[in-house]
Amino acid sequence: MSSIPSLSTRPPSSRPRRKVGPVKIISLLTLIVTTFLMLLPLFFMVMTSLKSKKEMLKFPPTFLPESWQWSNYTEIFDTLQFGTLYKNSLIIAVLSVIGTLISSALVAYGFARYKGKGNKIWFMLLLSTMMLPYPAIMIPQFILFSKMNWIDTFLPLIVPAFFGSAYNIFLLRQFFTTLPEEMFDAGRIDGCGELRMWRQIALPLSGPALATVAIFAFIYSWNDLLTPVLYLSSSDKFTLPVGMASLTSSRFRIPPWHLLMVASVLAMLPIVTLFAVAQKQFVEGIVLTGIK
Amino acid sequence: MKKNRKTFGTLFAASALLLTTLAGCSGGKSVEDVASPGSNSSSGGKGDKVTITYYTIDSEDRTFVEKLIPDFEKEHPNIKVKMEKAPYEQFDSKLQTLIAGNKSPDITSHYGYGGFAEYYNKGMLMDLTDLMQETGFKAEDYNIPEHLMDIYKVKDHTYGIPLNMYVTLMMYNKDMFDAAKLSYPPSDYEDKSWTFDKMVEDAKKMTVHSDDITKTQYGVDFTWSERDMRPLYFGADPYSADTWTNGGVPSETHFDSPEVIAAYHKFFDLIFKDKVSPNTEWSKSVAGQNGDPFVAGKIGMSVGGSWIMAGSNDFPFKVGVAAVPWGGNDKVRSPLFVDPLLILKDSKHPKEAMEFIKFLLTTEVQEKSIELSGGNPPVNTKAAETYYKHFEGVDPEDVKKVYEGAVKYGYESFNHLIVHYSQINDMFINELQPVETGHKTLEEVMGTIQKKVTEIIKR
Repeated sequence: MSSIPSLSTRPPSSRPRRKVGPVKIISLLTLIVTTFLMLLPLFFMVMTSLKSKKEMLKFPPTFLPESWQWSNYTEIFDTLQFGTLYKNSLIIAVLSVIGTLISSALVAYGFARYKGKGNKIWFMLLLSTMMLPYPAIMIPQFILFSKMNWIDTFLPLIVPAFFGSAYNIFLLRQFFTTLPEEMFDAGRIDGCGELRMWRQIALPLSGPALATVAIFAFIYSWNDLLTPVLYLSSSDKFTLPVGMASLTSSRFRIPPWHLLMVASVLAMLPIVTLFAVAQKQFVEGIVLTGIK
Repeated sequence: MKKNRKTFGTLFAASALLLTTLAGCSGGKSVEDVASPGSNSSSGGKGDKVTITYYTIDSEDRTFVEKLIPDFEKEHPNIKVKMEKAPYEQFDSKLQTLIAGNKSPDITSHYGYGGFAEYYNKGMLMDLTDLMQETGFKAEDYNIPEHLMDIYKVKDHTYGIPLNMYVTLMMYNKDMFDAAKLSYPPSDYEDKSWTFDKMVEDAKKMTVHSDDITKTQYGVDFTWSERDMRPLYFGADPYSADTWTNGGVPSETHFDSPEVIAAYHKFFDLIFKDKVSPNTEWSKSVAGQNGDPFVAGKIGMSVGGSWIMAGSNDFPFKVGVAAVPWGGNDKVRSPLFVDPLLILKDSKHPKEAMEFIKFLLTTEVQEKSIELSGGNPPVNTKAAETYYKHFEGVDPEDVKKVYEGAVKYGYESFNHLIVHYSQINDMFINELQPVETGHKTLEEVMGTIQKKVTEIIKR
């Protein structure tokens, strides 16, 4: 009852006014300028995707297209089997994300929760695998998958994700160690098994970290060029990066930059969408795990 | 919690299902593929079908071969050709991996960074001498000049059969010549008036220096072959003569000799003394990292590989082709870029591979390939007549003269003939960069280059 008169008697001027100091103005200006600079290449990419082939050769380059070639966006489907490339990349990336999430979270949970003998050594060993460059394992891995008769299938691109990734395990382990021990004790008292604690306590509490890992895994798989080049031979199994690389592969022709930019704009969409959807969780994940 | 459990379960089940499906797709070998090694180096008995793999770059000017395969398979019902391809940058990595993984392709070319000599010295190539005899291959049947066949011979053994031949030529911007009121350069290699000095003279008349980058233009861009080969243009050979007969391993190099340094000086004088050629920074700012400033219409004459002609229909100015001017070497004026077809040592079907090579070299297929590839120059001299007419706005007579002169005064590009060439080339780019930017003199860097070349060759 008393709250109503107090509200009505509040003078309009008492509303806290935000003070805009010079520091704030400078920081805002810096942010605007930096945002503009960061967006400039993106803008240039979109504009280039709408230019004609002849306009690409002009110097100085034009900023906006002289004539807007919207047909470039349909031409890419004639030049490359763009739909197929897109579909293949999506299948591989989505399955890789699922694989990475399941395997890395399980291993990371183990490293975070169990303090057994040699725990640290195993963890260091795991981390040291991050120092192995891909070319060092490229040929042995190819021989292995070749013996399994997996060449020219998606399997060599997906299955390794189901066996964990050192970087993501490290990232998730850092997160899992911050979870309060008491929750797991409570779970144990209620008769919860270890796997169930992982599934029903650790995972639901790790949304931000899992979102971060999902984005990293997706981007890695989406951009990977060398692995699909090595394992895939049939054109109908190629991924987006392989198809896009073919546009600039001739040493003897002027590359169709306008089409490459169309492909880049379209290839960017899933990553932008994923980031937009998981942005809140992603930023939180980076803050909580202390990983940049 | 229940929801989470359900989601987790669904995800796991979905991925397991998809993996199983994909595993199913991997399948076993098809009947055609099972032409077991050892039993099928011959054409095989009736009904035996063998699959050969043709490995190439994944770009339109290479993958067009796929369109020729049905005709070949119709002619050779026992042979199936499969195409394996990779982007340019990953070409060598994939080839090495395929060989190591016992999945060696049968036919390829040195389309990546590594040249013929690199492949030969790694023992990757099959000696084709006996195979050519066995299958009745004669170069003259395919109108391939004998001296082109010699390029890929080592100690009288043939390891590669030429397929395409790019030459070095001069392309010029007719609009810039007209504006400077200059007569066009000749396409005839025997025209004695066409010399390096005359070219510099013409270039000076077309060069405009301005603070406004859009107004700056240069008379000539003389990118004559790779950096280590350039002294040859003025008659100084930096590699010992045995290099060309022993598989590309020079016993001596002379990069610090006064003749070689003097030759390099003449090239750099175009940029720093005569100021008629652009430096690398300008070229990159106008045309991008790997672009050509000639295409932007800012260069009067451009000396380079004949592949530049393939895009000439799109240039926003009129173009012509001319002979590379005489620079002091009476024998060599045009580096050739002859791409051979190679059969790899681990090929399980060399005879069938040879049949496919023969098919690709026939006049009819070579002529067809020009159109399908968008202007690949055939090695077959009969098919070359069609090639000369391929470029709109460029006089076919000029293209013919330039090609014939280039072959007469040609020398195969060093990048195909010298061992560890990709490393030599990278080293040259790095070491000469301070000279190209004007921070060091040639005398300062050539000693180091000589030392490093020697080290690389010994690897």
